[in-house]
Amino acid sequence: MYAAISSATLRGAFGSPVTVEVHIGNGLPGFTVVGQPDEACRESRDRVRAALLSSGHEWPNRRITVNLAGEGDKKGGAALDLAVAVGVLVAGGAVPKEAVENISFVGELGLDGALRPVAGAAPLAHAAEGTRVVVPVGSFAEADVAGRGRASAVADLASLVSVLRGDEPWPGNPTVPEPVVRAVPDLADVAGHPVARLALEVAAAGGHHLLMVGPPGSGKSMLAARLPGLLPPLGQKEALECALIRGAAGLAAEVPPSPVPPFRAPHHSSSLAAVVGGGSPHVRPGEISLAHNGVLFLDEMSEFAPSVLDGLRQPLEDKVVRIGRARSAVELPAGFLLVAATNPCPCGDERPSGCGCTPQNRHRWLRRISGPLLDRFDIRVWITRPTSVSMLDGQRGEPTVAVARRVAAARALAVSRQGTVNAGISVEHLDVHAPMTPAAMEVFARALDSGTLTARGYHRCRRLARTVADLRDGDVTVDGDHARVALQLRREPGTPRG
Amino acid sequence: MTAAALAALPLMTRVRLSRLVACGEPHHTFRAVVSGERPLAGVDEHVWEAWESCAGLDELIEERCADAAVWVTWRGAHDYPSQLLGDPDAPAVLFGRGTTSALDARRVGIVGTRRCTAAGAHLARRLGADLALNGVAVVSGLARGIDVNAHRGALSVDGAAPVGVVASGPDVVYPSEHSREWSDVARRGLLLSEWPPGTEPDRHRFPLRNRILAALSEVLVVVESRARGGSMITVTEAARRGATVMAVPGAPTLAVAEGTNNLLKDGCAPVTDVDDVLVALGLDNSRTARQVDTRPVPTHEEETVLAVLHGVPRTVEEVVVACGVDAFGAGRLLGSLEAKGRARHTNGWWEALR
Repeated sequence: MYAAISSATLRGAFGSPVTVEVHIGNGLPGFTVVGQPDEACRESRDRVRAALLSSGHEWPNRRITVNLAGEGDKKGGAALDLAVAVGVLVAGGAVPKEAVENISFVGELGLDGALRPVAGAAPLAHAAEGTRVVVPVGSFAEADVAGRGRASAVADLASLVSVLRGDEPWPGNPTVPEPVVRAVPDLADVAGHPVARLALEVAAAGGHHLLMVGPPGSGKSMLAARLPGLLPPLGQKEALECALIRGAAGLAAEVPPSPVPPFRAPHHSSSLAAVVGGGSPHVRPGEISLAHNGVLFLDEMSEFAPSVLDGLRQPLEDKVVRIGRARSAVELPAGFLLVAATNPCPCGDERPSGCGCTPQNRHRWLRRISGPLLDRFDIRVWITRPTSVSMLDGQRGEPTVAVARRVAAARALAVSRQGTVNAGISVEHLDVHAPMTPAAMEVFARALDSGTLTARGYHRCRRLARTVADLRDGDVTVDGDHARVALQLRREPGTPRG
Repeated sequence: MTAAALAALPLMTRVRLSRLVACGEPHHTFRAVVSGERPLAGVDEHVWEAWESCAGLDELIEERCADAAVWVTWRGAHDYPSQLLGDPDAPAVLFGRGTTSALDARRVGIVGTRRCTAAGAHLARRLGADLALNGVAVVSGLARGIDVNAHRGALSVDGAAPVGVVASGPDVVYPSEHSREWSDVARRGLLLSEWPPGTEPDRHRFPLRNRILAALSEVLVVVESRARGGSMITVTEAARRGATVMAVPGAPTLAVAEGTNNLLKDGCAPVTDVDDVLVALGLDNSRTARQVDTRPVPTHEEETVLAVLHGVPRTVEEVVVACGVDAFGAGRLLGSLEAKGRARHTNGWWEALR
């Protein structure tokens, strides 16, 4: 008369376990779902009934109550169909109770009893608590990524019932496709751009957020797309996280999880919910979570809505984004490297005496990016169009592998020294981990005195100088040259002329 | 003071003002105008009517002038600058702050584009300072770019009394970020305008301002200018008055050197140093004073970078290619040159400051 079936629902990035309780008792025939189901789950009654009948089972004409026990409000999704169906069968006595112990069920039912693939199979299988997770055949590859070998693919309800009754053995699982390594564009394709190359290298090595200011056609997007290749490949844990987040966002998880750090480049018309995460009833991860462990690239940053840009500030600081709802809050991972590009002014012509914009217009343009956000970019470089010499001499730049090797060495150095990349050195530990020679102090002192460096910028510059030193000379005291180069990597985005 | 009220009348034009001021003592003229006497022929009826309703204007404008410490003079008054008396197009009424004795020195106008290069701004500043050191009054327009830098240079010299000619009322600071330079010029030298206090810097006032600037300049130096622009208007006005026009040569690839290079082709004398201007003024250049260059000396390595930057703005990439250094080396050398005040970065481009 009663059954408790383990399943999972999408909630945040990693899904959340749910227990589907089914009770069949006396009373007016009916079917009620309680426990804050969403619309799709309330509709499941009709699908489950049809699927049961199509599979040759009887529908108990009694009072059926389904309860969804688990965290969060508005639980559900069509993925609970299978658990409800199995629950009805168990409670009705068609399947023995012992057969479903320690098994989780995830899947949507067709009216013919077939199991349909579900969106977000990876986080669902990840969250499911059973030692075996039954999933539709079409979702097996994704579920297997996260299911730690627990996933079992089943084609339809009828065959599942015969397996659970012990009439048949568990069917064999489909083969998972070969890993496809996502190709990352190579730095060797980029001609010239010495400053941008240095900036990318330092950004990758120190985890410093990067802002590129430059005219249209100077290659900002092309450069940014090459950053994931410079970052160290993801470990198994990070790759799985990324796969789960992708699944939770409704994108196909990469099978198996790709070791290449994600690169997300949302369009500047994207909404706050699309970038930061949100949505109703289920909170879906936004672009910043999809870029977790990777790169978030904002092209034409000054065209983004100010609310979207401001929404980035808290995640940048905390590496997670908390999305509050009236009755619950969801925390999504958002540890990304921010790379942004913008034109210097409305006309985009940065050449000396080339720009026709008035100083007011230039000022207004850059003011669209709020000061606090601008401040979080450790690296701010001007990108100029490559010279004809670099374009025409046909020489390829240094390839990604060579730069990535230096980046990996510098990162390893930083982690062994202070346990984090250099961007994460706290202000109070700067003197311990990034000591300076008197020459370096003088460089910073002069920049502070002349007003080109602010007090806030000073700490960021010291971290930058640490990374420059790590890349260039290893674990040495930061000297004047490192400091000078760090200052060059952190220019004001809008220098007044004249 | 009532000359100010005449200038501030509604529907006033330069021609009408000229004719009114020529009628005699402005006080009497103003009284006559507001009491309906109509001392001029050929002025429309509605203009007279508008003027007759302005009886209290003289006191109002007097108060405004006093508030802004602005004095007024008119053509015919004893304190009207004698330097403008012979001018064919001299303003009928002049508003000013500061002292007209600033005009008694030798006067050199320094003009140029508002959208100048860092090197151009630096040169204007140096020229302004060196001229001031040699006792020459710098005349300029206090506009962005070349103008204000020439003034800044002059103001950096103790005892210098530069002259500013502006296109708005003498109390309307434009552009607003130059308020410091405005007050310094007014305090130490002379700030002139032909418009009453409160006048906004409308577009059409700038060419008119340029003619006064030209009239006050014995020598006019154009530091940077495009082929067309306000500086070229000043040049035309100066040439009309027989003033010597000189130009700073620039690289032919630079848009801001097009106007000055054209001037050179037309036969203007080139300026690369304060000596050139002093000679043009007929002054003794054997004991020219120059501002001492206190900047640290560049190293040998930095000199090679400076040589690349010389005359033309360059990107870091061009420096990298020309000097055979990597991005790190370029950043190191350029950063050091910047700290020494020998190079300047603007929006990704580097210029040498000589």
